[in-house]
Amino acid sequence: MQPIHLFSLASRQADWLSVRQAAVAQNVANADTPKYSAVDVEPFSEVFSQTRLELAATNPGHMAPSGLDAAAADVRREKTWETSHSGNSVNLEQEMIKAGDIHTSFSLNRSIVAAFGRMLTSAVKG
Amino acid sequence: MDQLTAALKISGSGMQAQSTRMRVVSENLANAQSTGRTPGADPYRRKTVTFGEEMDRVMGTPTVIVKDIGADRSPFDVKHDPGNPAADANGNVKMPNVNVLIELSDLRQANRSYSANVEAITQARSMLTMNIDLLRNS
Repeated sequence: MQPIHLFSLASRQADWLSVRQAAVAQNVANADTPKYSAVDVEPFSEVFSQTRLELAATNPGHMAPSGLDAAAADVRREKTWETSHSGNSVNLEQEMIKAGDIHTSFSLNRSIVAAFGRMLTSAVKG
Repeated sequence: MDQLTAALKISGSGMQAQSTRMRVVSENLANAQSTGRTPGADPYRRKTVTFGEEMDRVMGTPTVIVKDIGADRSPFDVKHDPGNPAADANGNVKMPNVNVLIELSDLRQANRSYSANVEAITQARSMLTMNIDLLRNS
């Protein structure tokens, strides 16, 4: 029997979606901050296809490299629909669309995990 | 820290910044007619709000803060009103440099940004709930 990779894949996607949701929250919160550039995470396909080398924190004094770190994905600047006169490139409508996408994917992800969980439970209980 | 919790905190900081902005706008609106007390004195000067990004050391996430509440340096309106206690020798009174229309549109914009933050919080909370439901149903 093949081992089930579904749970690791699903939890990686859930992590990635959480990072993306945090990036959207950051953009929305900074919607009126001058010179702020909107950020987004790298696509999940890129995260999925590469194996990352992470710096380990072996001492409490070690600092994480960046804000949204521990992160399942890199957060980077993104080209958006428009840049306002103050140099701010956040577009609230675009962020709401992204938040909707995230919500749909997350909902799907959790439903699949729940379905597999039920399958495993029924296999164990007999 | 958990990313979803971080998202909640970031949105919270955004809401706080927008509330401060609304407070300053109300100060401006309330003082739209506040002249000085002595002849030739300067009236109320319009306040402005500047937002900035700040790294929260505890959470390790970037949050929003009100960086500066400054003063609008544009010139005052002058009105001819000899009976006013703030009138100078020529009977002119300096009125505050507050434009009610600008303040109202600023208020609308703050309101819109605040709602967007509320929406982001709702989404993050719903995602957290989905995670908890996963534990509950299995």
